[in-house]
Amino acid sequence: MYAESARLPSARPTIPATLPIAAIILWLGALAASAMPWLNQLEPAALVAAFWTFDPDQYSSVLAHYSWAPRVSIAVLIGCGLGLAGAVTQQILGNPLASPTTLGVEAGGQFGVTVATLFAPGLLAFSPDLAALAGGLLAIGLVIALTWRLGFSPVTVILAGLVITFFLGAMNMAFLLLKGEWLGNLFIWGAGSLVQNNWGPFMDLWPRVLVLAMLMLALIRPLQLMQLGQASASSLGARVALIRMLALLLVVVMSTTVVSRVGVVAFIGLAAPVLARLLGARTLGSRLLWSTLLGGGLLLLADTLAHWASTWGDGSLVPTGTTTALIGGPVILLALQGFRNTHHMPGQESGPASFLPQRRSPVLIGGAVVTLLLATIVISMGWSPGLEGWNWTAVSQWHEAWVWRGPRLLAATLAGVALGLAGTLIQRMTGNPMGSPEMLGISGGAALVMVVIVLSGLEVGRAGQLGAATLGAAAALGLLILLARKHRFAGNQLLLGGLALYVFMDAGLRLVMASGGTVASQLLNWMYGSTWLISEPEAFGLMAFVLLICGLLCLVVRPLTLLPLGDTAASSLGLPVARARLLLLLVAAVLTAAATVVIGPLSFAGLIAPHLARVLGQQTVGRQMIVAGLVGGLLLAVADYLSRIVVFPAQLPAGLLAALVGGVYFLWGLSRHGRA
Amino acid sequence: MSAFFKVSGLGVHIGDATILRNVTLDFREGEVTALLGHNGSGKSTLLKILARQMTPSSGDVRVLGTSFQRTGAREFARTVGYLPQHPPGTDGLTVRELVALGRYPWRGPLGRYNAEDHRLIDQAIKDTGLTRFQHRSVDTLSGGERQRAWIAMLLAQQTRCLLLDEPISALDVKHQVETLRLVHRLAEQRELTVVVVLHDVDLAARFCDRLVALKSGALVADGSPRNIMDSGILESIYGVPMGVLERAPGQWVSYVH
Repeated sequence: MYAESARLPSARPTIPATLPIAAIILWLGALAASAMPWLNQLEPAALVAAFWTFDPDQYSSVLAHYSWAPRVSIAVLIGCGLGLAGAVTQQILGNPLASPTTLGVEAGGQFGVTVATLFAPGLLAFSPDLAALAGGLLAIGLVIALTWRLGFSPVTVILAGLVITFFLGAMNMAFLLLKGEWLGNLFIWGAGSLVQNNWGPFMDLWPRVLVLAMLMLALIRPLQLMQLGQASASSLGARVALIRMLALLLVVVMSTTVVSRVGVVAFIGLAAPVLARLLGARTLGSRLLWSTLLGGGLLLLADTLAHWASTWGDGSLVPTGTTTALIGGPVILLALQGFRNTHHMPGQESGPASFLPQRRSPVLIGGAVVTLLLATIVISMGWSPGLEGWNWTAVSQWHEAWVWRGPRLLAATLAGVALGLAGTLIQRMTGNPMGSPEMLGISGGAALVMVVIVLSGLEVGRAGQLGAATLGAAAALGLLILLARKHRFAGNQLLLGGLALYVFMDAGLRLVMASGGTVASQLLNWMYGSTWLISEPEAFGLMAFVLLICGLLCLVVRPLTLLPLGDTAASSLGLPVARARLLLLLVAAVLTAAATVVIGPLSFAGLIAPHLARVLGQQTVGRQMIVAGLVGGLLLAVADYLSRIVVFPAQLPAGLLAALVGGVYFLWGLSRHGRA
Repeated sequence: MSAFFKVSGLGVHIGDATILRNVTLDFREGEVTALLGHNGSGKSTLLKILARQMTPSSGDVRVLGTSFQRTGAREFARTVGYLPQHPPGTDGLTVRELVALGRYPWRGPLGRYNAEDHRLIDQAIKDTGLTRFQHRSVDTLSGGERQRAWIAMLLAQQTRCLLLDEPISALDVKHQVETLRLVHRLAEQRELTVVVVLHDVDLAARFCDRLVALKSGALVADGSPRNIMDSGILESIYGVPMGVLERAPGQWVSYVH
């Protein structure tokens, strides 16, 4: 009755042999590397015995029992826990980008401890877990509250998680810049250090991890239904929202329990499941099992590397969080090669929830934004605090104030315009609401070069920084193009590549912050966009450049409208898809590089401005681009003004303020409209 | 025959738009009913409400005499199975694993699958003619085979009712007929209640016991194929002048003037 087709596998598909072999190699390699420094002091048998006993007459044996063995054990334990949590998270959200890190849980934990350190140090002495757990719950609570009405649709959850990560990260930085003297240790903790000096923490931790793991495994069958998408899962009798919430809660408790003991060990929860899947773990059960095992092995390896790096680098501490990030980057790049079908992720059948506020007249909205921008410029130039309170500078005296207030204001505004335009380009091009220069890693590439310069101790002037950052952005872009070429510049692959670059930048940053010193605060100032470093010629150069690009953008409105219809539709309408993408990518990168040098890589402007333009009712590409550019300019102009006055006579970086202001707006908008 | 679904005074409004207005209708047990209507007439919405995927703005639905909202999620899933219009990608699941998920409503999150479950899974795969494909990944199957895999999952669910949203829209004529014949046969063998959204009125008349038509969210026609396959009624459903030929008893051909 039915058509026959040839070549059918008759046996059940099994797990490919590469998976267990890779896991065994990883574990043996990590264990051997970890044990190597000890082998010339202890017999292998004695070293193994160090896990449960020691010889009180032999110093190295005592050391192995109280330092090495607990460190290995805790690395494996935490790695397994985070690997499992990551695999569960990816299953809940049906998204290879999901992990405790991307949901904001780790940033939340760190924020909790920062706040506790500053305002309730007693609580930390009592139990550091509580502060971290409260922070993590706060972060996930915000994510859940924001996405509640959408039944936790995967794209929105990730988006909200990312915004919260950035937002809490910016709050942490604000505290660090204002009260840095109290928080030095915190940033070593924040970077994840696994150094142990007894078995206490491990004994404390293992029952919790075990219980949480059992609870997660109990949810395995409902989680499997999530793979069928919301409609089918609920028609099979699963309460989708409830299951997602329960599983998310378990993930949070697992991550914050781990994080409060050893700090942020990011990316294990992302890398382990990705690796397991790439190596052929197909069913949910096998994905959970192998992510757990690979997570343990990966963290042990990362920790060993961190230990070696600390030993070689004249005793300066290299936190494990840094090396996990260094391992995480390549794994994500691997994922980029392996995932062909990311735009058909299960559970995401409807795509990003469509969000169509009422259309409004572009003239009206544009006019209103321009008016606000002009008002900001006038106030920023004229009205400021001085030695004897607030005073008003008359227009006739503006030429005197110009040199102090003008260039930075101009540069900030232009950077905002550039980021708004770049953000719109990228969001349209990738058809992804998470797409923004920040997420594409172009700003990350620029920042990475800056970090390297600071680390190497080279003295470069402002011009050198400018050149280096542009170079970094271009290199990041080149890498992205190379990687994405295979996928014809499709959206999700680009985002994954950008994430990998961001991971590298993050690793460098953690390293700098853990080393402390003036270098760190100098870098922090730049990272968070210190507009006071701008000179007049630089500002005018930026203006000419942005105007030039704006002219160019008029040519690409039509291709940008076509691209989101999909490659097939766009190319059958006669658009050379790959070439159009390349051109747009180039324009976006150049805009981003120009802005990053001024405002640092972490401002929200590129993510916020395009959304705000949509909320204001600008649906078509051209209108959205214009309004997004204006809104971006307004956002950073206001941020620049505020950065001058809020802690007068000291200054805050404008990019940091933009991130805070923009983050608050964004969260509000997300919850109000329910869909973004 | 008693009513399986009892729909009374059903209305759905989204914003200013009215999707369904005051629909009152019974779906009788053991009957294969086709929902007809042009695009946007509200037939998919009605099906989603029957499947509890949407809550109506007004009105009430009763299943087997009990009120709709009071049944638990898994209990409901043991009674009513629903196949969405576009089943999502399944990310590497094999046919057998997909079908096995259909036992979830009976076994829950922790219950063990026993021999009976495995027998039912085998039976569902056999009934849909997928035995040779059972260890293939669903994503690598052709459109018709994939549709059958999802129907097999619904069969393993052992419900008394199937709700199918345009199950044949992406298939060629051969697979359309095969799928509908399968549904018809299974409905007869297991005394299933089936509600199926269809676009092709000829196929609907050939394979269904009853045709129900919606237009702009309201009920416009309801009856046996013999009653509905009439040029005047079809014209009122689709809004284009149509004619009908009866080639042989129970085989109609409709055409557009």
